[in-house]
Amino acid sequence: MKVGPWRAGPERRAWSQGAGQTPRKRDRAGAEPQLPAAPALPGGKMVARRRKRAARDPEDCIPSPPGYAAIPIKFSEKQQASHYLYVRAHGVRQGTKSTWPQKRTLFVLNVPPYCTEESLSRLLSSCGLVQSVELQEKPDLAESPKESRSKFFHPKPVPGFQVAYVVFQKPSGVSAALALKGPLLVSTESHPVKSGIHKWISDYADSVPDPEALRVEVDTFMEAYDQKIAEEEAKAKEEEGVPDEEGWVKVTRRGRRPVLPRTEAASLRVLERERRKRARKELLNFYAWQHRESKMERKPRPAHPQAPRPWPQPWMRPLARAPDSGH
Amino acid sequence: MMGPAPAGEQLCGAIGEPEVMEPALEGTGKEGKKTSSRKRTLAEPPAKGLLQPVKLSRAELYKEPTNEELNHLRETEILFHSSLLRLQVEELLKEVRLSEKKKDRIDAFLREVNQRVVRVPSVPETELTDQAWLPAGVRVPLHQVPYAVKGCFRFLPPAQVTVVGSYLLGTCIRPDINVDVALTMPREILQDKDGLNQRYFRKRALYLAHLAHHLAQDPLFGSVCFSYTNGCHLKPSLLLRPRGKDERLVTVRLHPCPPPDFFRPCRLLPTKNNVRSAWYRGQSPAGDGSPEPPTPHYNTWVLQDTALESHLQLLSTMLGSAQGLKDGVALLKVWLRQRELDKGQGGFTGFLVSMLVVFLVSTHKIHTTMSGYQVLRRVLQFLATTDLTVNGISLCLSSDPSLPALADFHQAFSVVFLDSSGRLNLCADVTASTYHQVQYEARLSMTLLDSRADDGFQLLLMTPKPMIRAFDHVLHLHPLSRLQAACHRLKLWPELQDNGGDYVSAALGPLTTLLEQGLGTRLKLLAHSRPPVPEWGISQDPPKHKDSGSLTLGLLLRPEGLTSVLELGPEADQPEAAKFRQFWGFRSELRRFQDGAIREAVVWEAASMSQKRLIPHQVVTHLLALHTDIPETCVHYVGGPLDALIQGLKQTSSTGEEALAVAVCCYDDLSRLLWGLEGLPLTVSAVQGAHPVLRYTEVFPPTPVRPASSFYEPLQERSSLLPRLDKPCPAYVEPMTVVCHLEGSGQWPQDAEAVQRVRAAFQLRLAELLTQQHGLQCRATATHTDVLKDGFVFRIRVAYQREPQILKEVQSPEGMISLRDTPASLHLERDTRQLPLLTSALHGLQQQHPAFSGVARLAKRWVRAQLLGEDFTDESLDLVAAALFLHPEPFTPPSSPQVGFLRFLYLVSTFDWKNNPLIVNLNNELTVEEQVEIRSGFLAARTQLPVMVIVTPQDRKHSVWTQDGPSAQILQQLVVLAAEALPMLEKQLMDPRGPGDIRTVFRPPLDIYDVLIRLSPRHIPRHRQAVDSPAASFCRGLLSQPGPSSLMPVLGYDPPQLYLMQLREAFGDLALFFYDQHGGEVIGVLWKPTSFQPQPFKASSTKGRMVMSRGGELVMVPNVEAILEDFAVLGEGLVQTVEARSERWTV
Repeated sequence: MKVGPWRAGPERRAWSQGAGQTPRKRDRAGAEPQLPAAPALPGGKMVARRRKRAARDPEDCIPSPPGYAAIPIKFSEKQQASHYLYVRAHGVRQGTKSTWPQKRTLFVLNVPPYCTEESLSRLLSSCGLVQSVELQEKPDLAESPKESRSKFFHPKPVPGFQVAYVVFQKPSGVSAALALKGPLLVSTESHPVKSGIHKWISDYADSVPDPEALRVEVDTFMEAYDQKIAEEEAKAKEEEGVPDEEGWVKVTRRGRRPVLPRTEAASLRVLERERRKRARKELLNFYAWQHRESKMERKPRPAHPQAPRPWPQPWMRPLARAPDSGH
Repeated sequence: MMGPAPAGEQLCGAIGEPEVMEPALEGTGKEGKKTSSRKRTLAEPPAKGLLQPVKLSRAELYKEPTNEELNHLRETEILFHSSLLRLQVEELLKEVRLSEKKKDRIDAFLREVNQRVVRVPSVPETELTDQAWLPAGVRVPLHQVPYAVKGCFRFLPPAQVTVVGSYLLGTCIRPDINVDVALTMPREILQDKDGLNQRYFRKRALYLAHLAHHLAQDPLFGSVCFSYTNGCHLKPSLLLRPRGKDERLVTVRLHPCPPPDFFRPCRLLPTKNNVRSAWYRGQSPAGDGSPEPPTPHYNTWVLQDTALESHLQLLSTMLGSAQGLKDGVALLKVWLRQRELDKGQGGFTGFLVSMLVVFLVSTHKIHTTMSGYQVLRRVLQFLATTDLTVNGISLCLSSDPSLPALADFHQAFSVVFLDSSGRLNLCADVTASTYHQVQYEARLSMTLLDSRADDGFQLLLMTPKPMIRAFDHVLHLHPLSRLQAACHRLKLWPELQDNGGDYVSAALGPLTTLLEQGLGTRLKLLAHSRPPVPEWGISQDPPKHKDSGSLTLGLLLRPEGLTSVLELGPEADQPEAAKFRQFWGFRSELRRFQDGAIREAVVWEAASMSQKRLIPHQVVTHLLALHTDIPETCVHYVGGPLDALIQGLKQTSSTGEEALAVAVCCYDDLSRLLWGLEGLPLTVSAVQGAHPVLRYTEVFPPTPVRPASSFYEPLQERSSLLPRLDKPCPAYVEPMTVVCHLEGSGQWPQDAEAVQRVRAAFQLRLAELLTQQHGLQCRATATHTDVLKDGFVFRIRVAYQREPQILKEVQSPEGMISLRDTPASLHLERDTRQLPLLTSALHGLQQQHPAFSGVARLAKRWVRAQLLGEDFTDESLDLVAAALFLHPEPFTPPSSPQVGFLRFLYLVSTFDWKNNPLIVNLNNELTVEEQVEIRSGFLAARTQLPVMVIVTPQDRKHSVWTQDGPSAQILQQLVVLAAEALPMLEKQLMDPRGPGDIRTVFRPPLDIYDVLIRLSPRHIPRHRQAVDSPAASFCRGLLSQPGPSSLMPVLGYDPPQLYLMQLREAFGDLALFFYDQHGGEVIGVLWKPTSFQPQPFKASSTKGRMVMSRGGELVMVPNVEAILEDFAVLGEGLVQTVEARSERWTV
């Protein structure tokens, strides 16, 4: 599996030429650290030769699925083979909602497990200022809510291969990234990424909790929760006796004896009781048609002896209105 | 690579049964056959090996039953327990019975044999001692000791050739069909007084030798060889097998016998002597005029030859016309064969059982119209309730005063069952132990039949009970020649004289009595193997006594007797004291007891449970050396070779039960502290253990941790220790989970997130209070509190009873609350409700059966050593081990880890997981009706249930412990491995020269894996637990003495496990990873068969794959080279090498 750092297609090349300025500009600004070695790989002559070969022999380039560009990525220089990030400008069909900003977001597939959000951000910073990077298990259009991720109650899962949404500050970042040749190196001498024993030891150290921080978090959460409950109760009290726009009044019983809970089990129980009550009153084999029917039922039906039993009738589903609400 | 489980692959029973009984109604006669074949064509092929009910067409289903069928049904009702049983019995009988076609072939062969035998040329008369006339190619099949004997011999063709035995009766069972043929020697060959001094037997042997020489030249026979009749060394017989494809079909045994009325029966009574001491021992009888010792066995063997025909006549008149009786005899033979009771010398043969049936018919206990099943039941009942060693029975009806009394027979034989002549004891060769074993088995079988268990048939007649799997401990006496010295030591000369020098038979009785007496209350049953009957070629000398393999004794132990190290004797001044001293020799000591009594006593050295279990070993070796001169080197006691696999690192004296008890004790202390904790908003209402240690099933029990501070990075502000990069991985400490329930309260919030916070607050408070009030080192997290107590670390989880309920609640838009199981709620319920229940139930089981711990741990150890440990939950394996104790039939609950482990392997390799749930009736809570209900519910819902279904009283439908695995392939792999390991291990343990390397079956096969990842021992914390314990490993930072550090040790830090977690997360859909958590040095990787198939591009499944163009199309294939490098990257520092066996796959 010989793999060169090249992709075919003249318009892609045009893209990459257009995007060439961005990193240089940023370099002057000095905002982001420079990648060592990696971008310096393709020397002029060699590139030309390779390009020629690529044009002649399309098998030599990295195949990528339609609409995606492939960027080789390796853990470090030592590795021979590389994985491929499949990247695409994030876009959705008309009418679908997405919280990721159109045009500025890069959608990345197949992010290897050792690649963290920080390292991805660093690797792509050569294309333009990166606003945010989010790694997810599978493609998801909505940005996950940031605040609920408590490190005590929702510990980070063990990473596998992930997808990433990289939001650049400018749309040009996306196009530059699409033209990236790689191979990207996740761990370099200047920015080593921990793996193996190093990672596990530091993970273990991180997992030893700080009881004070935990206590503070619990307290703040519970305060907010109590407040929320109190507000809800106050609101319910306020609404008591006030008719809504259709003129209905919500009545709640707040006595010592609790009312029948509105649960599925309870409503099924009630239905069953009703059915039994009806069955007691009902006369069997009274009318001629009843007699006929029961006879027919006793005889096996000729056409489909084992007709599939029908699914529960719609009335067996939980009803919006409890049948004995009047009692 | 592991394929899908083939349909119903099982070990067949020893008799080669069809493993799956087809639940189709088998009609009788021609018509029935036709319908059944039609049914079969109608039946759909069963899906994936599941048993399906036979589908009948409507017309057939509602057809009126024929008269035959009605009769059949009525018979079933009257004669059988259930119609299923009838089907099973009939199927079994069909399988073991000879087909008519084969019978014809055998008959033809017999006719040929008859013709050949009568045409053997005669030989002129010579002295018995002059054997020069014998041709060169044949040896006399008898040990002629002493050689000199009077009398003359000549060969004449037999006067009569008769077929005797079970073949004519139609009760012989497959496989190993034997046809016995009696050859009546002409009167001219014999002389008066031939009954004396083995003269008859010498002539018999010479007769056979000549016959053998001539028959061996005949091309009709595939093999001609000698054997002993029922193992009796004085009575050889000639075995003839046809040549060609029928060689395995039949064995014809030729038995020469004297002409009728040749011997005078009164000379052969059990009180008479027919082997003179002067002749046998070469010395004149002692001058003091003491009478010659009687030779009851010798006399019986002569008598047996004279009675062959009369026995046949008796059997054929009694059994001949009654099919039910014949069926019963066949079933009984199967029953005996499955228990290995009918084989070898002194076995309880099929002939004996037939005679027993005749006896029961003649005493009107069995009626001729009874079915085979009823006959089986009656005979078992008779065996279970009578004792032939005390009250013998007799078929003889005459009250002739010249007949000897039963008491005479009891004097001479241990088991007495006289034939119709009243002079021959049919059970002469049966030893008391064999008979007791038969009795014991019959009793077990009766309780099984009475318990109305569904699969009684399966357990009674289809499950083999080899000695090694039936007895707790087994001991081999090897070499057997030591028994000769033992005979002299025990002064058994008369017995030797009687047995014709067979010292094994002579010594067996006294030996077993000695051991039974010595083992006393520790012993439930002692059985001995019956040496197999050898066969030898006619040109060879008969095998020596010492060549008959080894003598194997099986001990069935009484667990309650195993706890005592003391053998209490009589008080010192009693007359029995001398006897006691004589019996125990120098081990007997005078001891003063707490109640002031001074008694003789023997005290054995045993500190731990495992040593106590092996006290019988000490008893046996001591007694054998003391009384029979058999040195320790000749006694190969097989009771604890497997113990080594569950022994701790430096404790070779214990198998860990004590260490587990210490941990449990510490847990009890902790729960007391929790109960008495003050200042908690809600008081503690219950503390329950939920960890394998707390149910005694952790393979390696925890030891108190005393960390050496220099080995760790201290994190003072959180009072914890951290592992250090420059040191080897520290010792693995697994916290023991304890679930802590609080009293009920209405103050809990009703929101899942909020409940989590409140629980976290409780965890924090718990840690604070335990530190304040009891000075324990604690560490609280959001979900648990770790507590360090006496070097053990417990993980306390506060549980709120309603939390699973809250997690289940789903509110519909209309405000209706419905309960739906969610993964989170199921998980929580399992951890906080079901796991503690299971733990306490198994803890209780351990109190009842002390061997449970050992069995469960050995079983788990083995499964993990085969690298399959991760696919089976701890609990599921514990439950399988518990099933061996709760449902041991047809065995009894194991009393040693060894036998329990063998039965575990047997259960795993033979259980039909597809069609049966494994019901583990903990605390006996399930009634028979409930079990039937569970079974039917199982069949209805089979497709939704996991591959392996284990049902307990607490978990009747879902099999929670096997929900997440194993997969069908993994289970199949385990079944295959168990089926291979069982015979291998049994062979090792039954090897009289010692078991050899017992760890063989614990070493996993590595050649099945595609990639091997070798790990560096430096970072394997449990390296020393490996099956082949390394000679040297790394220091793990533990002190032998309690150190000053009381910081929380490193908990649950196991790099291989962390590594595996990452691997499974990243590559779980491409490959399977196998590892032995107990010190495994290698991870086996198996590519999934589907993962290399090119797939079209999909954004959701690019994990670790790359796009390639194949034939002009873009497809995705795994990026194997990069993945292999990832293996090394993810496990940096831990991984030594990644061995890819790339020849095994192609991308």
